[in-house]
Amino acid sequence: MKLNIVKQRGIWWLVSGLLIGISIATMALSWSQFQGPVRPGLDFIGGTRLQIERDCSDATICKNPIEIADIRTILDGQGLEGSSLQLVGDSGQALSIRTRNLSVDEQTTLRAALAETLGAVDPNSSKIDVVGPTIGKQLLTAGLLSLIVAFAGITIYLSLRFKFDYAVLALLALMHDVIITLGVFAILGLVAGYEADSLFIVALLTIVGFSVNDTVVIYDRIRENFKLMPEKGVNDIVNDAVNQTLGRSINTTMTTVLPLLAIVIFGGDTLKFFALAMIVGFIAGAYSSIFIASTLLAWWRGRSESITELPAPAAE
Amino acid sequence: MGKQRSMLVVIVGLAIAAVFTIVQLPTQLGLDLRGGSQLTLQVLTTEEITQISERELEAVQRVIENRVNGLGVSEAIVQTSGQDQLLIQLPGVSDPGQAQRVLGGTAQLEFRSQKPGTEGELRAISDIISQQEIQQATILAAGSENITEEQLAELEQITSALQTSRETLLELFDDTELKGDKLTDALASPRGTGGQSWEVSIYFNNEGGSLFTDMTRNIAGTGRVLGIFLDSRLISAPTVDVQYASTGIPGNSATISGSFNAEAARDLEIQLRGGALPVPVEVVENRTVGATLGRDSIQRSLYAGMAGLVLVLIFMAIYYRLPGILADIALVVYALLTWAAYNILGVTMTLPGIAGFILSIGMAVDANVLIFERTREELRAGKTLYRSVESGFYRAFSSILDSNITTIIACGALFWFGAGLVKGFALTLAVGVAVSLFTAFTCTRNLLFFIISFPQFRKVGYFAPSLDTDLPSNSQPS
Repeated sequence: MKLNIVKQRGIWWLVSGLLIGISIATMALSWSQFQGPVRPGLDFIGGTRLQIERDCSDATICKNPIEIADIRTILDGQGLEGSSLQLVGDSGQALSIRTRNLSVDEQTTLRAALAETLGAVDPNSSKIDVVGPTIGKQLLTAGLLSLIVAFAGITIYLSLRFKFDYAVLALLALMHDVIITLGVFAILGLVAGYEADSLFIVALLTIVGFSVNDTVVIYDRIRENFKLMPEKGVNDIVNDAVNQTLGRSINTTMTTVLPLLAIVIFGGDTLKFFALAMIVGFIAGAYSSIFIASTLLAWWRGRSESITELPAPAAE
Repeated sequence: MGKQRSMLVVIVGLAIAAVFTIVQLPTQLGLDLRGGSQLTLQVLTTEEITQISERELEAVQRVIENRVNGLGVSEAIVQTSGQDQLLIQLPGVSDPGQAQRVLGGTAQLEFRSQKPGTEGELRAISDIISQQEIQQATILAAGSENITEEQLAELEQITSALQTSRETLLELFDDTELKGDKLTDALASPRGTGGQSWEVSIYFNNEGGSLFTDMTRNIAGTGRVLGIFLDSRLISAPTVDVQYASTGIPGNSATISGSFNAEAARDLEIQLRGGALPVPVEVVENRTVGATLGRDSIQRSLYAGMAGLVLVLIFMAIYYRLPGILADIALVVYALLTWAAYNILGVTMTLPGIAGFILSIGMAVDANVLIFERTREELRAGKTLYRSVESGFYRAFSSILDSNITTIIACGALFWFGAGLVKGFALTLAVGVAVSLFTAFTCTRNLLFFIISFPQFRKVGYFAPSLDTDLPSNSQPS
């Protein structure tokens, strides 16, 4: 089987264009509702999150699942109306509460009141996150800054190893992947209540690192083919390169996604969405490397019609 | 072949060393996995101090360390973060309320004068305190991993007894008006020319200076001491020389001398300066994870990751046949080496760190996939097996190098700008990528050349099963 990637580029560009359009639209919708392209979580807006679990060593305590209404009454009693409240775990014996930023005393009162209603609470399975509003901003700035620096670093490296136009096109493909991942998680935020934490930014950066890999492998092959067969046209060269690396692109994406999929299905709650974000990004990355970065390069080089000799890779 | 054999011996040696390292050097677990409290303290600016310099941050850090010590938590860590923040890790603490209460707030530096007739009591209680401190330090030194239930109970008891003793000690002193806000500076310097003996000079503002003069006049020559307390803990107890009995120490400054070496003098200087700072600190972030909750998430994520990896190993063996099986061996060696590298480098393993590790295995697989795909291509082009394997490695090298370096660039960006968990992820991924470069080009390579030195393994079908029946149309003559 041999794909003619370049000839069908209209289709690939249309698909990507549509996906990007939808992503931007959902991000805009998300922005109007949550003031963020993806619904921002505790890490970015600040607040207090309390996760507690009943101590089930005494079976009588855990006879019935936790009554949400009772907890709501406690929260209302302490002036914490509008806090989000949710049962976690399978047996309904654990509870996650998110409120505004609480002082130490407020926390202690709340915990005491909860412990009274819930019966014994196991301190070893509890979790508390308090994030001040300044920290949230700091995390966000640090995240965005590292994203920009990564983009710049990759562009510089690729300009040195390849050519500037390769680097810019690879960067376009990267943005494509980041936007689509953002779009998917904007939808998850709107529909399933997903909230982005600092791990989400980590996931985005990993996507950047990984999907540029795919692009680099294909570009590397294009460069090699230019050298081996300088008489061939740019379209043929790109087509050959994509087909020659297709097996690798698919296999690598699959072998990377497999462990992540296992984490999504069986892993702890903390890592589920982290792994899911990477799966979405890696698949988008494989797609953009195979279908977008390559066809963009063929289009650009074909348009300028000046296929110059590229610097030889360091290995040869 | 001889070269391959000796390289294989080296690799086996490395793998054994790695296993030994993993067993001997325990992996450091982050607080999100072992349970504990992590707090970020923000040093706030005030009207007097509008900017926090390195010197001030160091002083505040010392104050916070004092307070953390008072909590009696094993392996607690206080470190600076950025220009005006402190990061505090308290392993094993599941109720952060107390810690948060103790750590926040402005430092309280007080100068108190000893009550008359309490000399004997002071000596006795001081002895008790230093004994209790030694006891506490002994238990804490054992490390939280090795601490027993009994020791833990004992530790709790000593910590509270120490608290009581300190309160008793405080009672032996009269409160005065002279507080940290009237101290303007403190400076440690060597005394005389020898440099062996050090002293600490303290400087007051005018109001503080006159209070200090009055206070020293009262206790000079009596044998009673001047108690300097930081957050209600005695940090220095100098006596005042009899020559000042009529005048007190004049001139808004004084010198504390004694058996200070450079380190002790400097320590006192920093504590005094920290106490003099009117900067409040605020807990701006607090992440506390219960011990079993952490254990649960590590187990679930590890099992899930392992299951995924086993699938990858099976896939490699089925799809790439003989080289796939060899790559599987190389990947196991890779995992061992990387894990050992984490332990040697002292990488703290966090939940995102585990994810970074699992991902780096993905990268390691990718290097092998690139090489084998290339080998197959060369075989299809009609080259001999040996030449194909050779050029598979050779040609894949630049792709592997470029792709790994771009990942390391992304890791670098994460490491420099990220904090906490993000850093852990970047570090594990970067270490993993570096090790994967090594294993792909030593381990897989030598294994492969070693195996094809045996004629019975030299069958093209073992490398590219589809070759005889399905000659692909995209093969390039070369």
